[in-house]
Amino acid sequence: MWSRIISRLLTSLVVAWASVTASFLALHALPGRIQDILAGDLEYPGLREAIAAEWGLDRSLLAQYLDFLLRILQGDFGTSYVLRQPVTEVVGSQLMPTVQLALLGGLLAIVIGVALALLTAGRGRISRQIASFLELVFASTPVFWLGILLLMAFSFTLRWFPVSGGSGWKSIVLPSLTLALPTAGLLAQVLREAMEKTLDQPFVTTVRSRGVGELVIRARHVLRHALLPAVTLGGWLIGGLLGGAVITEKVFGRPGLGTVTLGAVLTHDVPVVLAVVLLAAFIHVAASTLLDILYLLIDPRLRAQ
Amino acid sequence: MRKISISARASIAIVSVMLGGQLAQAQEGKPVSGGAITWGVATEPSCFDPHRASQQAAFFVARNYIDSLVGKKTDGTFAPWLATEWSISPDGKEYTYKLREDVVFHDGEKFDAAAVKANYDFVKKPENATNAVALLQYFDRAEVVSPYVVKLILTQPDSTFLESTSNVKLGIISPKALAKGDLCGGGPLLAGSGPFVFERYSRGQSAVFVRNKDYKWGPGYAAHTGPAYLDRVTLRFLPEAAVRAGALTSGQVDLIEGVQPTDAPLFADQAEFKLLTGPSGASTSFTFNINYTIPPADDVRVRRALRDGFDLEPLVKQVYLGTVPRAWSIIGPANPAYNKALVGAWGNNIAGANKLLDEAGWTGRDSEGFRTKNGVRLKIDVGYPQPYVRDNREVLIQGIQAALRKNIGFDLNLRIITAGEYAKNNANGNWTIYPNTDNPSDPARELWDMLGSKGFLYSNIANPDPQITGLIDEALRSTDVAKKRALTDEIQKLGVDQAFIVPMFAPSWFLAAKNNVNGLSFEAGLDSPSSAYDFWLAK
Repeated sequence: MWSRIISRLLTSLVVAWASVTASFLALHALPGRIQDILAGDLEYPGLREAIAAEWGLDRSLLAQYLDFLLRILQGDFGTSYVLRQPVTEVVGSQLMPTVQLALLGGLLAIVIGVALALLTAGRGRISRQIASFLELVFASTPVFWLGILLLMAFSFTLRWFPVSGGSGWKSIVLPSLTLALPTAGLLAQVLREAMEKTLDQPFVTTVRSRGVGELVIRARHVLRHALLPAVTLGGWLIGGLLGGAVITEKVFGRPGLGTVTLGAVLTHDVPVVLAVVLLAAFIHVAASTLLDILYLLIDPRLRAQ
Repeated sequence: MRKISISARASIAIVSVMLGGQLAQAQEGKPVSGGAITWGVATEPSCFDPHRASQQAAFFVARNYIDSLVGKKTDGTFAPWLATEWSISPDGKEYTYKLREDVVFHDGEKFDAAAVKANYDFVKKPENATNAVALLQYFDRAEVVSPYVVKLILTQPDSTFLESTSNVKLGIISPKALAKGDLCGGGPLLAGSGPFVFERYSRGQSAVFVRNKDYKWGPGYAAHTGPAYLDRVTLRFLPEAAVRAGALTSGQVDLIEGVQPTDAPLFADQAEFKLLTGPSGASTSFTFNINYTIPPADDVRVRRALRDGFDLEPLVKQVYLGTVPRAWSIIGPANPAYNKALVGAWGNNIAGANKLLDEAGWTGRDSEGFRTKNGVRLKIDVGYPQPYVRDNREVLIQGIQAALRKNIGFDLNLRIITAGEYAKNNANGNWTIYPNTDNPSDPARELWDMLGSKGFLYSNIANPDPQITGLIDEALRSTDVAKKRALTDEIQKLGVDQAFIVPMFAPSWFLAAKNNVNGLSFEAGLDSPSSAYDFWLAK
């Protein structure tokens, strides 16, 4: 057990290091020198040299890279080129809103997805078709569009929820629903397909013959079999939630990592991008570790190995 | 048919609002003090420090907490502000400002000549890499003559300098705050002397300003003196236009800027709302700047064909529903320096454009119908940096692209590029067409920005046209108002005649508000909404 966790942690370090390295190289491979971008519309002798010296851009790429690695080991992420604030401050202040949004969005996606699958798997053709049509609409509607539609209905017309801002729990309902629906659509489809396969299994007939109610069969026996493929999707879903959060934050004018990251990529703000990449890598590794543990809980056969 | 009726309705609505707006002003009544408003704004400043900021769309934010030495009035003349009077030496190289003695910064520091010097020195210092330094091209040093008299000394006459000292980018910050270092993050640390104190900033969310109770040094162009009327102004950053409009119609904010032409009818004829249209192109028009040193644009016939090979008017009407005028010059029509002689002087001559291209040898055609010469397609890229793409400008360019292709077989290739690619092209001088509007300032300074030998487009190009750059340098030095006016007229004409530039339309600023929000206006020096200093709420 312990060796497994330690090797997991080591893997996560390697993943984080590899992602930072790849991002560092990618950012520098983008067209345009950072000092030219930072100079913007300005032009006077010595300007670019001054900027390069201030940010250490005049040193070799390898030196800049090693320096960066050394500094993150000391917990120092440097200063944003563009925002001119410590990166830990910039990212730190935006982290919680995004985490809240992604967690709530993920939770809602699971609740909606599981409920849809439970209620419709193996049922009459019409109800299944309606459900799968809805799921398809959810899964293929752009997050941006979905957000605007929800706002129009529930914020601008019914005035149940605010557009954004510090109005407590109400301000997070629409953004998290926006984020959840596409994921829920996909999850429900995968779950239902798996459940329908399971419903044909002989053991279900056995359980039925004992007089167990249909909903209990689905929730206690069938769902468990269908969860494995859904959990396998988990890693991908986390990526989808984080990506969707970028757009959701923009539509709802919410604080969060999305807008900060987008801006940083567009302006070659290397320190900010690298900090976000590092964070995303850690979240991904942590999540996939959790999913592995979840596998063990779902499928007793794996525990025996 | 439907399209026509919508655009007709929209333009009727806009016209009636412009008239109605003036009537409403007259009926607004006597301002009252108190209350708070929430203002939905489109662009979140990436930096709140006016010396470093670069987004034109965000400068009006800084005006709430930053004052300048002088204020610019709508007629282009100047009003006292932190300086009560000023004089310019006969040789045009020394500007002496007499300062108010009762001004206190938000952090309790006193404003005086030393504070002005500290600000100018800070901006000028190369390692601070401020954006505002562009305004100090010929600024040499500041001298403290007496505690409340400061002299700004130039290396050569600069007719644009007084205007620069009115610019928010050279606004005055408390020297104590300046010494603390980076102020981009805003908040109380960024201490100016403006009508509002910067209380707090939550990135991605809002910025809050509270009234400066001791304020009695408002700009001479403002509608009142003394402290601001509102207790508190909250800016909410809502980047999506549809969301801003919905937030106002549902009463979640009191005021929004950046209303899209398609949303204007929501507020135009409604009893609960008002819509204001800002100065249309008081500074510059949205313009194609053509790099005339790179083939095939080094041939004046090719540039003229591009300029005349399409009908601009219906395209602008279609994209902006009749809310903005098409442009004739790079200087906007509301600017006193606008050269009216250019109206009707160019454009929409498709036969002529085709003839010019025939003469220039672009007589072949490729399989897609584009003109060719020696097997090479007639093609010029428009590199539009993604961070600057806004209010459907890319849609307008696509319309022009389609018209040029159909009319004269010209491949105008719009490419949305990253800030990095733009910076690279600019550093190498190999940009091809750059579409933009410029920050407002003196017209000679604007022409210098876009077409001057050391402006930001041509500074890395070895051989810019000596005639136009010479005229621009002369206009910058000229302190004789009539002579300078003749020169800027000449430069505008030459720019269009040589097709170095193709002006497209004069952008407007739309503000929409609940009907009880009064005192809204636009600031000439910013060419955008004014600060909230004169705003008041009807009880």
